Order: sequence, then structure tokens, then C-alpha cells
Amino acid sequence: MSILRYIWHRGEGRFSLIVLGCWLIVCALSLVWTPQPLGQSDGYNTWASPSLAHPMGTDGTGRDMLSWLMAGSGTELQIVVATCVLAALIGVVFVSFSLARSGLVSEIATVITDTLLSIPIVLIALILAVPLGASILVVILSCAISYGLNLARIAKPQASLAATSRYVEAARAAGSSRWKALRTHVLPNLIPVFSVQLSICAGTAILAEAGLTYLGIGVPAGTASWGSSLSSSASFISIFPLTVVWPGALITVVVVALNLFGDCLRKAVDPVVNAQLRASEVRR
Amino acid sequence: MSRTTNDGSVNSVNSNEAATSGSTDASLASQQKAPHAPQMGSAPGGGRKIVWIVLAVVVALAVIFGIVWAVRSRNTSTATGGSRQESMTIGVKLAPTNLDIRNQSGSALDQVLIDNIYEPLVGRGTDNKVSAGLAKSWDVSEDAKTYTFHLNSGITFSNGDALDSADVVWSLRQLLEKKYASSDQLRNIASIEAKGADTVVVTLTAPYADLLWSLSGRPGLVFDHDASYDAKTQAIGSGPYLLKTFKENDSIILTRNTKYWGTKKATIKTITLKYFADDNAALNAFKAGSVQVLAPVMNAKMAASLEKDDRFVVGQGDDTDKYVLGMNNKGKVLSNKKIRQAIRYAIDSKEIIASRGGVDAELGGPIPSLDPGYEDLTGLYPHDVAKAQQLLKEAGYSDSKPLKLTLEYANTYGTEFGEQLKSQLAKVGIDLNVKVVEFSTWLQDVYTNHDYDLSLVDHNESHDFYQWADPTYYYGYESKEVQDLYAKSITATDEAEQAEYLRQAAHKVSEDAAADWLLNYRVTTAYAKGVTGFPMNLNQSRLPLAGVDYKK
Repeated sequence: MSILRYIWHRGEGRFSLIVLGCWLIVCALSLVWTPQPLGQSDGYNTWASPSLAHPMGTDGTGRDMLSWLMAGSGTELQIVVATCVLAALIGVVFVSFSLARSGLVSEIATVITDTLLSIPIVLIALILAVPLGASILVVILSCAISYGLNLARIAKPQASLAATSRYVEAARAAGSSRWKALRTHVLPNLIPVFSVQLSICAGTAILAEAGLTYLGIGVPAGTASWGSSLSSSASFISIFPLTVVWPGALITVVVVALNLFGDCLRKAVDPVVNAQLRASEVRR
Repeated sequence: MSRTTNDGSVNSVNSNEAATSGSTDASLASQQKAPHAPQMGSAPGGGRKIVWIVLAVVVALAVIFGIVWAVRSRNTSTATGGSRQESMTIGVKLAPTNLDIRNQSGSALDQVLIDNIYEPLVGRGTDNKVSAGLAKSWDVSEDAKTYTFHLNSGITFSNGDALDSADVVWSLRQLLEKKYASSDQLRNIASIEAKGADTVVVTLTAPYADLLWSLSGRPGLVFDHDASYDAKTQAIGSGPYLLKTFKENDSIILTRNTKYWGTKKATIKTITLKYFADDNAALNAFKAGSVQVLAPVMNAKMAASLEKDDRFVVGQGDDTDKYVLGMNNKGKVLSNKKIRQAIRYAIDSKEIIASRGGVDAELGGPIPSLDPGYEDLTGLYPHDVAKAQQLLKEAGYSDSKPLKLTLEYANTYGTEFGEQLKSQLAKVGIDLNVKVVEFSTWLQDVYTNHDYDLSLVDHNESHDFYQWADPTYYYGYESKEVQDLYAKSITATDEAEQAEYLRQAAHKVSEDAAADWLLNYRVTTAYAKGVTGFPMNLNQSRLPLAGVDYKK
């Protein structure tokens, strides 16, 4: 709670909280209500300018832009949540392996992490798209693999520091197993690093969705997403610029909010910067 | 000489003086201002500095903007008068990978090379009908098995060689022997003989109604027997233009053939065909005036923005592109005629055409208006949701058990088609899953393995009814009646007879709901005022440039 309060009291933090809050509300709203029914398209009214019935105009298929972008916010949320969960999982697994007692296992885990990190995310996505075709899964898996490994690399120093610390030594001496020591003493140490990195990874996942969809290997046709709205309008940018501006602005604002949120979160969870956090720790 | 140099030196001294006096003035002025500047800046600290930086950036941007605007307005202000231009540039879309028209398929080569550099034995007009070409006339025997072509006299290739019957015979025989691209369009050939220098006799084993039309395209091209050149990068033909340069995926420059044998000589000296893979780049180049003709304009909606501009003229031409919603007639679900019919009733092609800007033509069957055997079949399956639902019910599908189908097509056609069809079919209770894939994936899944329900392809060829008479084609459509009618149309001895058989066959194909024809694409062309004689019909597969003129 004190962390959220800290973020709220900073300008950029408040901005990011408001944007992310709106995003969640719109997601929930789009499940039950959109200004126009989602499956509906009017071929006689394509690329329409904004009007009362269509506040953001219509796209090339004749769909209401606003409704479609609202539905897209749900897809984005799915992608972001799934990517973060998977990335965290991959990160934890690789960090744990790199702390293994056997030098060989930790060496292998480190080598795998470093090798896979050198593969660009687009390449991973292109490879995944061969068996999967254009699908949300391609976006999620490629982002999760890439960010998960990145996480493992960033969190490793922190983890090995904790693993060699006195309290882990004490716990081990008190008879707790290696697994239990990892779970109760090492991994909680990584939560600050993970939460900050994951909020940044969330922003990049949205960008990756837009990029991969533009390449034709992201979100499939007929599924609402900001990236697909952007890519299907991009070829008309010189005559119907508004249809590109709406999803483009949306992506920019949300990604900026996620990145600012990550920055604020980093400061908020750092007791050196956040005095309130220190105070509450002491009180506890 | 010496006097002028003296004058020049005097002038230069004067100007030097002027320059130095000017510069002293400027430095004085700046010195006068100088004492004030730090006072203003120092008072509030660094904040003012930022203001100056911002101001400097704004001024710099304004200057750049002003220069760009001035250059642009000068370019457009010269667009008056009325003199013939020496050169012009035409923006087109599909670029050929090389110039070897005998081995490389694709309409991009036909577009640039036929009628401009190479000429066919028989000409073809913008109505897609045959006319005089290299052969000024021809006689057809009673049994339609012997064609005698009479060549024009004095035809020469661009290298000076004479074009005579020997070249024609060699070109046609080579085509059949080496099985060059489109050689399958020449059928039932028994022999090809020269009779004197200007007569060629083609005899057939059986009548072949499409012979003349085929000879007006790629199969009829006449090449120089004696010339040796690299056909991938060079071209020597008898046409009104010569190939100057070929830059792969970028441009082709043609220059006028001053020694052209025919009467219809080229007007413009140099014509550049510039290839734009990106439609926005093409539109911007056209609006900026670096390209005088844009064919095609990607989308009629885009053309609407050009129509408002009085510098441009926008028009549409007919074409033979058929956007076919292919159905797997041998598939598990779609072998049921009722379901195919339901889909045809469910699709509202008027809406699809409207969404694209409303210039394409409705098409109710496999033959477009520019091909023989055309009949307006749009009345066979009008848009009727209730009928579609009724047919689906009879086939055993309902709201509780909806029909699930997959539409797979190549990503070259955009996602709009799929999304529109999905929403139209949803209204009758068909759940359409749209898969937009790479062209190679489509070739593998649909064209080769026939593993699909629905597919969308722009079949742009003319005279391509054979697809419906071939049960191994990816539609898997098999009808004895259609095959017989098509065979009869091929061996028909006159045009009217051929057209009638094709008409009957096309009617049957459409009635059987072997596929749905979404639309007959009409090509939109935009050109600058002052361009005349640009072909509007069929200009994606045939672009005769000799008659094109450009004055400004």
C-alpha cells in the first residue's frame, strides 16, 4: 500500500496509475458493452470520419473504431498478463538452475541464457510462427522467452548474493533443505527486481504485439487488437491519418504509462529512495 | 577578352567592398546588441537559455519549411503551358525479377514488354479482342484447321535485322519445343511452316477456337532468330520502344525506336516505368509530380482524394481479375451443394464492393465481361439471408450446431476481405475462422494439397475457364456437362459458337455454386492533366505506350 501511495504522489506515477486504471476499466467494460456490437461491420461506411454514431470513425472493414479498440484492450491485457507470468516463470527457473550446487548445471543454465539472449525477439517469433501460424501465442511465447531470459540474467547477481548470505547459511544450518532455502530466502529477494522488470516488459510486449502483427505473424485477422488496427490502417496513412492516429496514440500512451510505472516502482521499492518504506519497515 | 576580365575584376572589388562594409555593419550591430544580451540572460538564470534554444529551433524549422515550400511551389508553378514533354514516368506496382519473357512467368513482364518491345503475331485491342499485328491479315480454312497469316512488309527488329516468316516460324516452334512460359496456350498444333518471306501457315490437328487470341499474347511473340543477347537483362524486339536500362525492383527505362517499322510510332522519347512496392510511396511520388501516371491506384478510396485535386485525372478501366471465393467441392463439408448455395446467398458482394470504394463490378460467374461467353449471372444467387439460413437448416446446421468453416488466403489481399466475410457469414450462423497466411503456405495448403474449406484468390488471367473443366484443380469441381461444353467450346469453328458453349458452361458452374465470385476488379488509374492516350482497360497485363502523349 505504501508503495502505491508513493507512486501516486509522484507526477509521472499518478499519470501511469490513471492510465493503467482506465485500461483495466475499459477492458472490463468491453466484455459486457461496446458502443457498437463487435461482430458488426458496415461495408457501405468504411473509413468514415468521426461522427456521433462512431466517435472515432470506422476502419477499412467498416467497423466502429472505438468499439474495436475497446475490444482490443482486452487482447492486449491477455497478452501482457500471459507474457509477464510466463516470463517470470522462465526467469525463476533459470535463476534457480544457475544457483544449482552442481557447477555443470549452473554453467549450462548460464550458457543457455546467454546464447538464447543473443537471438532477436523477431527471429524467435518467426520460428514460432512456422508451426503456430499467426496467433496470439506467437506474441506471448516469443516475448516471454526473450524477457524471461533477460530477467534471469538481471536477477542472477542478486540471487547469488542472497544464496551466499548469512541468513541462508543459518537456515541451512537449522536444517532447512536447499529447495526450502531457495523458496523462502532467496526468491523473495528477487521480487523487487522482478516487479520492476516485468512492468517494463509489459510495455515492450504491447510494442512487440504491434510490430509482430504488422509483420503478419502476430494477432490473426478478425481478432481485435491495437496492433492489427494499426497495421491494417497503415497503408492508408496518407489519406485517412486518423485511423492510424487512434491506435498509435493508444499504444504510445499505455506503453509510456507502463514504463513510467516501472520507473516509479523501482524507486518505490528501493528503501534508500523511499523513506516511507523505511518508516513502515521500522514500524513493523 | 581582357576588357571583360577587367570589368569582372572591378566588379569583384566592388562587391568585396560591399561585403566588407556589410560585415562591419553586422558586427557593429551585434556589438551594440551584445551588452544587452547577458543582462537579459543573467537575471533569471538558465530558464531563459532554454527559451532561446527553443526559439532557435523554431526559426530553423521555419526556414527549412519555407525553403521546401518555395521549391515545391516553383515546381508546380511551371505546370502551365502546353509543350510536348520529352520524357515521362509511370508508376506501376508489380516488378519483374528479370526480362526473360520466354521463361519467366508473371503479368509484370507482359505489361512492360509486349507491344512496347516485343510484338505478337496478332495484335490485341483494349477490348481484349484480336486485331492486326505483325500479321496484317489472316485466312482461316473452312474446317478451321488451317490458318494462313500474311505479314506486314518491311518489318525490322531494333538491331536492323528484317523480321520475316522465318523468324515467326522459329519463334513458335521454339516455344513448343522448349516449352517456354505459356506454351500450353497453343494447342492442337500439327505444323508451322513458312511460305515465302511474308506468309506463315499454321495447321492444326483439330480446331482450336482460342488460337488467334493466344497468338495475340505471349505465345505469339516473335523474336529475332539471328540476334544473341542476354534475355534476362536485355531485349531486342520489333516494337516502338527500345529497352534502355533495367534496374531490378526499381525501374525500366524505354526510349523511342526511331526506326520503328509501323505507322503507330512512339510519341514520348523516354518513358520510365517506376516500380513501387509501397502504395504510400507511390501516392506521394505521384502527388509530388515525380510520377505522371499511377497505375494502379491501390484503392478507389485513395483515388477519391486525388479526384478532388484539379491537377489530376482519375479513371477506371475494365479488367479480367476475378476475386474468387474458392470452395473445396471435394471437401467434407462443402461437397454439399446446399451449403455452397447458402454461402453464395449469405455473401453480399455489393457491400464488399462499396467498402472498396464502389468501382469494382459485380460478378456472378466465372467469366468476366471482357472474355467470350460472358453473361450477367448476378441474379442467380442474390444476397438473401433468409434463404441461406433455410438451406443451412436443411443441411443440418442450426444455432445450437453452427457450421464452422476456415477461410485461408494469402496475405497479399489484405485482412479486410476475411473480416468482412466473417461478419457476413456470421449473420446466417456460419462461424468463419480466417487464416491469412504467406503465399507459399497458401500454395502448399490450398493449391497443392487441397486441404481447405474456403479460399480467396484473384484469378487475373483472361480466357481461363479451363479451371472449371479440370477436376484436379484446387476447386475440385467435377461436372461432366461442363467438361463436355468446354471441350466443345475449344473445338468450335467460329467465335459465336465458342462463346455460346462457354456461356452455357459458365452458367452451369455458377448454378452449381462451385465457388462465389466476390467481384470483378476494375483497375483505377490516375494521371496528371496533359497525359493523353493512356490505356485504361487491362493495363496491368498490357500497357501499349506508343499512343501515350504528355504535354504541359
